[in-house]
Amino acid sequence: MAPGVLIVAVLLYLPFLWTTYLSFTRYRGLGSPEWIGLDNYQAMFSDPALLTSLRNTALWVAGTIIVPVGIGLLIAVLTYNMRFGAWFRLPFLIPYAISGVAVGVIWSFILQSNGALSQALDAFGLPGAESRWLLDAPLNTFVMIGAAAWQASGVNALLFVIGLQSIPKEPVEAAKVDGASGWRMFRSILWPMLRPLTTVVVGLSIVASLKTFDVVYVMTQGGPGRSSETLAITMYRETFVQSEYGQGGAVSVVLTVVTLAASIAYLRRQLSERRAL
Amino acid sequence: MTKVVKPAFLTVLGLLWLAPVYLLIANAAKLPIDYSSSTVWKPAFGTALFDNMRDVWDRADLSSSVLSTAIYSVTGPLTGVLIGACVGFAIVALRLRHGFWWFVFVFGGTVFPLQMILMPLFVGYADTGLYDTRLGLILVYSVISVPFSAFVMRNFFSGIAHHVFEAAVVDGATTWRIFWRIYLPMSKSALVAIFILQATFIWNDLLLGLTLSQSDDVRPIMPALTSLQSTYGGSAMPVVLAGGLLVSLPTVALFLATQRIFSRGLALGQF
Repeated sequence: MAPGVLIVAVLLYLPFLWTTYLSFTRYRGLGSPEWIGLDNYQAMFSDPALLTSLRNTALWVAGTIIVPVGIGLLIAVLTYNMRFGAWFRLPFLIPYAISGVAVGVIWSFILQSNGALSQALDAFGLPGAESRWLLDAPLNTFVMIGAAAWQASGVNALLFVIGLQSIPKEPVEAAKVDGASGWRMFRSILWPMLRPLTTVVVGLSIVASLKTFDVVYVMTQGGPGRSSETLAITMYRETFVQSEYGQGGAVSVVLTVVTLAASIAYLRRQLSERRAL
Repeated sequence: MTKVVKPAFLTVLGLLWLAPVYLLIANAAKLPIDYSSSTVWKPAFGTALFDNMRDVWDRADLSSSVLSTAIYSVTGPLTGVLIGACVGFAIVALRLRHGFWWFVFVFGGTVFPLQMILMPLFVGYADTGLYDTRLGLILVYSVISVPFSAFVMRNFFSGIAHHVFEAAVVDGATTWRIFWRIYLPMSKSALVAIFILQATFIWNDLLLGLTLSQSDDVRPIMPALTSLQSTYGGSAMPVVLAGGLLVSLPTVALFLATQRIFSRGLALGQF
């Protein structure tokens, strides 16, 4: 017990406090930190690059809630009570086991200008083949959200399947007797009963998308310019590329506050729903 | 009607999902001289895949990274899971005073983003000589495995009746022995699930490896792959893709083999 608490305290909490302290200082790794109050935060909300980073992070959160959660739910609803359902889900699960870095490598290859995607669009006579997928903002953020969705949809489907299979049979049967099927069954029976699980999946997706780093780092490094940076990338850049430790600390603190706010919001909703049951 | 539409729709979507995997394999199996960015959809046959993989393994020196990463992915979660289990045991079986708050303290360690600890770790590691050492990375990977393990093990131990503990005490077993001989063996399935999840997480980690190491021997596989992409990307695309395939094989195989444990581990962690 004691060693557990101790190493968590020394390697997780202590650094946490130190970063918070540094975010109020000007510190470049040499000498001692100089207290400058809220200047780093002020700079953050007036620097266009940092505002772009905030906006992109918001896009990531919104995109991640909609795309992989939506696709995951769709796949789960279609396959959960189907013969060979697990086999139909398999293609979506394989990308989940691939790392963010490998996903980035694969997709930056596919999304090269005139690369695999453009050639496929061209072959099917679809528009968009000339797009410079990773070079134009905000298109690059959108396609990277797509790449992340390719990876994450499968696990969401898996979680939704677990949820769907634990729904009691009686209401579903009763609804069937009453003639409900397809969309109506989903809308009136499955969706409300999945609510608690949906809250969890959405909450996890929000927290994960706020920390988006790997895919962007591999695919665009936040560029061109700084047009596709997310907060996690900005923090890395400020700290380890520019050596602006104080500014990097401020970005981390903002990231943490947003993450905590999102987690608390979804946990509270979930808890109050439990109480209501 | 739906009997046909549903499988057909799922098949099309599934094939769409597999297309990137196909592109990865097809192009990783072309020799760099045969590769052209205008014929990426063309399938490739032959043994070039193995040549490319050997190339990555030797020339790009991924072998030492793979070895280091294998060490991290085993020792990190192992230490983390054991410490996490100790914490869970102390709280649940020993009925530690204020146990719940200790638990909140340990579990709180996972709530904030890794970004918060990177810079102090980097500076602290540089001062203590842990920067760019295997020991340093093992340490940090162990620590980040602790909170989640403590969380799951606490839940799991709560399911074991306290009578088990009392009976063992009556029989004269020491606390350590009860933990080691009774509680740990009883929770084998949970331990395995956490181990697999954490090992996958560590194998796939980029951020910690990127910031806390630089030399080829110490650096984990994911940062090594990103630098491979920036040095070889473009001219020798198949080599980079072969590298991507190589580092993905272990986790994909592990995942497919343990899918059931995996999804249970996920369920354990979330409820």
